[in-house]
Amino acid sequence: MDRLSEGKSVIPKEEGFVVPENYFESLHENILKKMDAEETKVIRLNPYKKYYYAAASIAAIVLVVLGLNWNTAEALTFDDLAASDIETYFENNEFDLSTYEIAEVIPVDELEINDVLENRFAEENMLEYLDENIDDFEALNLEDDE
Amino acid sequence: MLGEETLVNQLQSKDTQSQAFEVLVDTYKQRLYWHIRRIVLDHDDTDDVLQNTFIKVYKNIDGFKGDSKLYSWMYRIATNEALSFLKVKSKKSGIENSELQDSMINNLQSDVYFEGDEIQLKLQKAIATLPEKQKLVFNMKYFQELKYEEISKILETSVGGLKASYHLAVKKIESFLKED
Repeated sequence: MDRLSEGKSVIPKEEGFVVPENYFESLHENILKKMDAEETKVIRLNPYKKYYYAAASIAAIVLVVLGLNWNTAEALTFDDLAASDIETYFENNEFDLSTYEIAEVIPVDELEINDVLENRFAEENMLEYLDENIDDFEALNLEDDE
Repeated sequence: MLGEETLVNQLQSKDTQSQAFEVLVDTYKQRLYWHIRRIVLDHDDTDDVLQNTFIKVYKNIDGFKGDSKLYSWMYRIATNEALSFLKVKSKKSGIENSELQDSMINNLQSDVYFEGDEIQLKLQKAIATLPEKQKLVFNMKYFQELKYEEISKILETSVGGLKASYHLAVKKIESFLKED
């Protein structure tokens, strides 16, 4: 009905897209193949499972020995990650979290302004700022100074 | 044809699952294909997104509670898959969404699965200039001839807003096509 009221539109009704021959006929089969491929990717690993365990135990032993002997290998902490790595991670992963949801997770109450700002305000910086930006420094009439 | 509810029940039960999935694909493949194709334009990309859509539906069917209709739920999945496909594509090539739209139109000219004439190519250029929501509404209304109520369930927006978006889109496309 809507179409009638639009009258003669200059917009063509055909778009010019075509589909390869037999595409729709083989679609179901192709989807099954894709699902199979996704599943076998996981299954194929199974025969090597024992080797992974062996490799993992050897690696664990080496790590323990290293740790006991020298005890210098420091564990990685969050600070060791470059800020750019973290940014890239957030950019490339979809979290589907709204600002409100993020706010629920982050303990805003416990945050101080200085946790976010890298440079803390030094007193001299503040005085310098006031000096440059306030026309009449005395006019501020700071009561404490009296 | 099976009723939607029966189909969902069969999909959720292990014994009838695979047969029901074939019915599901056969019933919706064409509609979902064209819906996705109008968003991503390229056939191979459409094929990719469509297959992922069906796989996602299959894997998540247990979570389908029947609050909405099966087909609007599937349309929603297809729309999200197609849009996030484009997002990932533009991020991978390090370009803005508008640049991606331009390159998609350029590719169309050499695409073997696009046989459109000059006006049809111009139509695609016109659609590419629309904001995302207007584009979706225009395609769903003008080409797929879905009802506003159906579109509103898929995109989860009000019918009034959709009507406004659609009329704006038609106006913009018409004036684009009239330009030389």
